[in-house]
Parts: sequence; structure tokens; C-alpha cells
Amino acid sequence: MQSLSRRAFMMAAGIGLWSLPARAGGVAPRVVSLDYGLSSTLLSLGLTPVGIAGVDDWGKWVVEPPLPPEVADVGDALMVNLEALTALAPTLILSTPYLDGLTPVLETIAPVLRLSVYDASGGSILPKAEAATRLLGDRIGRRAEADAFLQRADQHFARCRDAVRAAGAPPVALISFLDARHARIYTAPGLFDDTLGRIGMRNAWPGGGQYWGFDTIGIERLTEIDAPNAHLIAFEPLPREALPTLRQSPIWNGLSFVRDGRFAVLPETLMFGMVNEAMRFAGQMADYVGRLR
Amino acid sequence: MALAGWLAWAEIGPLIAASAQSPVAALMLMNSALPRLAVALLSGMALGLSGALFQLVLKNPLASPATLGVSAGANLALVIAMLFAPALMGFGRDVVALAGSGIAAGIVLRLGARRDFSPFVLILAGLIVSLWCGALAAILILMNDHYVAGLFIWGAGSLSQQSWDPALSLLPKLMVAALLAGLMIRPLSLMEAGDVTAAALGARVPRLRFLAITIAVVLAALVTSTVGVISFVGLVAPALARLSGARRPAGILVWSSVFGAGLLAATDGLVLWTTGAMKDFVPTGAVTAVIGAPLLLALLGGLKAHHRPLPSARPRPLPAQGLRRGRGRWIWLAAGFLLLLALALLVGRAPLTGGWSLPAVPVFGDILALRLPRVVAALSAGAMLAVAGVILQRLTGNELASPEVLGISAGSTVGVTVLLFVAVPTLPLQLVAASLGALAVLAAIFALGLGTRFEPERLLMAGVALSALVDAVCGVIAVNGDPRAMILLRWMSGSTYSANLTLSLTVLAVGLLLTTAALAMRRWLDILPLGSETASGVGIDLGRARFLLFLVAGILSGAATLAAGPLSFAGLMGPHIARELGLKRAGAQIVGGGLAGAGILVLADWAGRNLAFPYEMPAGLVAALIGTPLLLALIRRR
Repeated sequence: MQSLSRRAFMMAAGIGLWSLPARAGGVAPRVVSLDYGLSSTLLSLGLTPVGIAGVDDWGKWVVEPPLPPEVADVGDALMVNLEALTALAPTLILSTPYLDGLTPVLETIAPVLRLSVYDASGGSILPKAEAATRLLGDRIGRRAEADAFLQRADQHFARCRDAVRAAGAPPVALISFLDARHARIYTAPGLFDDTLGRIGMRNAWPGGGQYWGFDTIGIERLTEIDAPNAHLIAFEPLPREALPTLRQSPIWNGLSFVRDGRFAVLPETLMFGMVNEAMRFAGQMADYVGRLR
Repeated sequence: MALAGWLAWAEIGPLIAASAQSPVAALMLMNSALPRLAVALLSGMALGLSGALFQLVLKNPLASPATLGVSAGANLALVIAMLFAPALMGFGRDVVALAGSGIAAGIVLRLGARRDFSPFVLILAGLIVSLWCGALAAILILMNDHYVAGLFIWGAGSLSQQSWDPALSLLPKLMVAALLAGLMIRPLSLMEAGDVTAAALGARVPRLRFLAITIAVVLAALVTSTVGVISFVGLVAPALARLSGARRPAGILVWSSVFGAGLLAATDGLVLWTTGAMKDFVPTGAVTAVIGAPLLLALLGGLKAHHRPLPSARPRPLPAQGLRRGRGRWIWLAAGFLLLLALALLVGRAPLTGGWSLPAVPVFGDILALRLPRVVAALSAGAMLAVAGVILQRLTGNELASPEVLGISAGSTVGVTVLLFVAVPTLPLQLVAASLGALAVLAAIFALGLGTRFEPERLLMAGVALSALVDAVCGVIAVNGDPRAMILLRWMSGSTYSANLTLSLTVLAVGLLLTTAALAMRRWLDILPLGSETASGVGIDLGRARFLLFLVAGILSGAATLAAGPLSFAGLMGPHIARELGLKRAGAQIVGGGLAGAGILVLADWAGRNLAFPYEMPAGLVAALIGTPLLLALIRRR
């Protein structure tokens, strides 16, 4: 059986739309996107960007939807290669508050659309990502595609919610290992935390974090998770030595979720993404709790 | 020690009380809190012992694993292994760290050996190797480690523990090393009496020295491999031992170990106690640097009385003839500089294919408009740092002085860091903050130097301390994933990326103006190195001359650090290259050094823009990578 996340992606991300020719009556804008979440959103709205930042690491963080091979690389988001960017002759550059320092330079090359999802203004990430998706749709003349995409996303979340409810919706703590002794734990407010709420699950981590939605902790602080039926999910990429070292640790082995096998490693998923990334994460969660039955 | 005990109890006491009720608290006590304390004590002991060995055998009160580049070497080796050969990282971790620290120590000591282990050369070489390893590690992390800050944590030295394994595997290795160190006590006591006496009494001095240093390197490498870089403990512990009255090698070794253990345990206790309230993640190694730097400065006065007379770094006689004489060298210098300029402006990578090319005619203007501001920024920054270097070297009578080495660039970084947290960092504000930071450090150096006639040792030490402090602060910010860390990292790495034509031309104008000012003061610069009596004798108002020169050097450094970052070494290399070319008079050295400094940064900026296209490497870091081996070669040749 095709997994929920995979199947949902084929439907929801709108595979097939990308190959549509430029719509009648206008030339498709030449968009360069400097943010992974915005890049994947563009793809889901049926517009292939001419260039994005960080092509090399797409498979390491975003994975789905796949990046069409013709997309050019403009280098690192924080130091976009201006010569490469100029050569692409973009008509629109997508940026985020994280890259505000670049805006004056970028504006000399093409108009900049700054879409804010992760910023200090507070508030939930997922609704902000949805609003940004609509804004983007408006700006590139694909509002209908944006609404349709968000509707597909809602349907996907609803399916995941049903699957999760059927499996009893255990609370989960979500981490990325930094090394064998430290991890990032994903907190509220954050993309993962919001998505958990959307599919009827609860974050087992009691603490908060900054507006990117994570906190850096020593592994021993995982003992602060007190929900008796909590699961611990770690995301790839995993430092190679992390698990072998931790298996020697009484603290790690003493964690109730490790002791009782409520621990899993799931494939890489961008924690600082937008709606596509939330969908991939929701699908992963639904698959995971589905396998528990 | 009492403080360490108290803090440890503050952390562990409640856990013991709680562990009666809760199995989780008991688990935490047994497998996190106690092993953490054990690792802190063991690491501190090892670092204290290592520092004491280094100091005894090198007869150098400034020697330590951190100041000799040993810790940084181990850290770089670990970073490289983690990124490119992760399979090595299991049991091979100690070996990797040992290889890195061994190579670093080898380079530093080889340089030192050629100059009779002169403390200045040793510490300078160690500092340079440290900063070089740090620069390379930073580039590797920046280019490979986008969303995962694991390597930053490693570099910053966290003591967080989840089992007894690290402590238990460290213990026997340390015991063996400590035992070997114990066997060295007698021979070391002989060496105390002087190398000649020791040899007469039957000690084989070179071999002894080699053995003691090997033990010290192994100790430091083991600690770095277990918990990461923890600086200053190895430097401060022996100083405390000596301050509290230990004189003989046995006493110094033992008390350094004890103080090292207490120091690190106390620091860690302090970290846990304060962060417990804030719930922020702060690596202990970064905190030792933050606490250690001012402590060290405070200790400098006390150290003075105890340390034996050292052969001072007197200005060496310059080679009688330059590489090229007369007009010829100017032509070479100018031609080389123009060639570099042409290369930087014209040769690049084709945007879509990535091949090397000259810009095509239709986009020539566009491409040039992108490259010109960056080339001008690099050029100005390099020249300004070099001119500041010439001034500082002549003002302090210390040929190793430069904005980078004296911590003036680090001062600029502090200025910008403060700015980041209090205001929106627009470019003009950054310029002001950077200059203020540089001037503050200069003022401190000046205040410190007045009483001591700019004793090179203190100046260098202040620079080391401040640079480490800045590193530590940046480390803490980076580990916490604060987005401001990326701005700071960019600043630290020294990129011309954000330069626009207005800024570049402003910096260039400031640079030209101040260079002209420096040239106008060249008589002072020629006479001041001859000593204050001579200078007063020919009617120079010392206070005014020094003040004006420091002011010029401070603004030059601050403005230049904006474009080249705090570790480009252009300010150290430029004056040296000029001197190597035989430009001895202040005026000639300012112009020649300025050209050389500008050339270095232009080349570095070009390489950084093109080598990893379309990904960029910051010019400052690239300059450090290119320039450091060159600088080490220069030191070696002298």
C-alpha cells in the first residue's frame, strides 16, 4: 500500500500541473525563490521557479515535491550569488524577513516580494504560512491555484486527523539530534507544533522556544517529558554516532519512551517550511501512528 | 574550590533530595549530574596539568593548550572528520583529535624551536594557528551545516552528560598521562636550574622537552575529543597555582591540576545554576572563555612578579638588503597590484554553466557594477588594516602587533554585536559601532601600556583574551540558533558581500584620508620605535603623538573590519611584506604595506567569490587561509 504521506503528496502537491504551458494571455513570471518553503509552494501553485537558493541541499531537507532539474542554483540564501541571479533575469524575487539584510541589493535586480512566516511578531506558523501562500498566489496571478492547493492541504490534514484519531493520538516529542549529547526539540510556536494541533495530536514537550519553534537541549532534559504515553520522534539526518552512543547511556535507556519502544527515526522534513512541509510532516505522523496499531 | 563545592552541591543537593521520591530524579543524579561533575573535574584537571607542563617546559607563563593552538587543532581535525569521514568518529575520535593537536603543536613548536622557544614567537604562532584552524572550521561549518548547529556546540565545549561512559573512558587515559607527568617531576626540576646545568647533571634536555610536550598535547587532545574546546582553564590554573605560592615543578603540577579541576567544576556549576533559571542552552567552554578573559587580564599584574626574565623580543636587525632594491620593487609591487585588480574585476565564472570566463559584452556593465563595489571594499579594507598595522607596530615597538593580533578588530566585533542587540544595524551605525569598539580596545591597550611601556607580552595577551571572548559570545549566540548569529557570523567571517558603491567609496575615502594623515605623521613613526627618551629628546610631544596615532589606527581598524572581518590578518601581513621588500622607513612601509594588504584582500575576495561558485566564501576567512601559511613562513625565515 502506498503510504498516506506519499499518496497525499501526489494528489495534493498537484503533480502534473507543473508541466502546464504558460497560461494563455500572459507570460509566466520568471521567479527566483530564496526560501525552501516558498520554493515548494511555487511548485504546488504550478509555477517552476527559474532559480532557487540551495539546490544542493533540497534533497537533504525538503525532498517533496521533487525539484525539476532545470531550476538553477543561485547559491546560499544568505549570500545569494548576485552574478548568477542577474544572469537569470528574474521578474520577481521571493524573500523572507530572515533575509531582510539582502533586500536593498535584491531590489536593484528585480522587484522583491517579502513573505513573512517566521518572524518575531508571534502567532501560529501554519496560519501565517497559509496567508503567505494566498498572497503569493495573488502576486503571481495564481490565486485560484493557491486556494485549490490550500483546500487540498486541508483535505490532507483531515485525512491525517482521521488516521491519527483512529490510532489514539498519542502525544509526541519531536527532535533533531545535533550530536550524541544534544538535540533540538521542536516547540510551540512552530510549524511542527501547529501541524500536530491541526491533525489532533499534542506536543509532549512542556517547554517553549523562540519564533523558529525550537530549543537546544542536552539529551538528559528529555526526562522533563512527563506524559506517560509519549512517543519520541527523531528526524533524519542523524549524526552517525548519536544512536550507538546513546544506547550506552542509562539516561537514554531509562527514558520511558525508549524503554518501551515508543521511539522512531523518520525521514528528513524541513522544520522551517510552509504548507507543503507541514503536509509532509502530517503524513509522516499519520503513517507513524497508523503503524502502531 | 569552596565555590566549586558549593555550586556542585547547589546542583546536586536538590536532586539527592528528590531522588528519594522519584526514580527519574535518581536517574538524573546518577547518570547526568554526577558524571557531568566528574567530567568537569577530570577535564579541568587534565587542562590544568597540560598547561602547567607546557609552561614549565617552555619556560613561558603564557603557554597553554589554547594559546599554543593545540585545542583548536584538535577541534579542526574533529570537524573535518565529522564532515568527511564520519566513520572515523566512533573509537577513532581520540586518534583524530590527537592527530589534529599533534600537527598544530608540531607547527607551533617547530617555529618556536628556530627562535629558541622565544615566548613571543611561540604564542604568536599558537595564536595564528588557533585562528587559522578556527577560520577553516567556520568555513566548513558555514558551508555544510545549515540547519544543524552540532558542530558549533562541539567547538564551544558543552559538558552535558547522559552516562558515565565519557568520564570512565577519560579516567584511565588521564591517569596514565598524569602518571607519566609525575615521572617528569625530577627531570623538570633539573631543567628549572637551566638547560646547561640540567645537561651537566645528566638530563637529556631536548628529549625531556619533547616527552613533556607530548604528554601535554595528549592531555589536551583527550579533553577536546571528549567535550570539545575549553579554553583558558589550562592557562589560568597554572597562574593561580603560582600565585598561591607553588614554586617547584611538583607543586606547580599538582596545584595546577587541582585548580584546573576546581575552576572548571565551578564554572560549570555557575552555568547550570544561572541557565537553570533562564532555560537557555549555554556551553560551558564558551563561558570559561567569557570568565577567563577578564580574569586573565587581572592576573597579568600578579604574574609579572613571578615570572623569570625572558629573552625579550627585541627588534631584530633587518636584512641588510631588501629583496629588490630601489625603484624596481615599487614597480613590481604596483604591477602585481594592478594585475590583481584586473583579475578581480574581469575574470569570473559564467553564471549558468559555471565555466571560467570574461564577462560577455552585453552584460559587461551589469557584471562590473556587481564586482566593482566589492573589489573596492576589499582593496580599501586591506590597505587600511595594513596601514593600521604599520602604525601599531611602530607605536608599540612590537613587530607582531596588528589590529587582529591586538584584539582591536575583536573590539569592533563587540561593538557590532552590542549594536545588533540594541538597534537596527544599518550600515552607518555599524561603521560607528565598529570604530567605537576598536577605539575602546585601543584605549584599554593604551591604559595598560602606559605603565608598562607597551610590553609586548601584555599587549598580545590582551588581544588573545579579547579575541577568545568574542569567539565565545558568538558561539553562545550561534548555538542557540538566534538569527542574529548569522549576521554576526557573516561579520566575523568578513565578507564584502553587502558592500555597495556608496559604502565602498566612503570607506575608500576615509582610508585615503587617514592614510594621508598617517603619512603626514611619518616622522613620529620613524622616531618613536627608537624609545621615548630619544623621541622626547628631539622635541616630540609623546602624549599628543601617541594619541593621534592611536586615533588614526583605531578608526582605520574599525572601518576596515566592517569589510574584512576581524581575522583577515591583512593588518599583520601587509607591514611584514613591506618590510621583507626592504621598505624600512615609515612612509615607504605605509605605502608598500598598504598596497600589499590591499592586494591580499582583493585576491581573497576574488577566490572567495569564484572557487565554490555559486556558493561564496567570505573574503576575510579566505585571506586568513591564504595569508596564515605565508605569515608563518615569514616568521620562520627570520
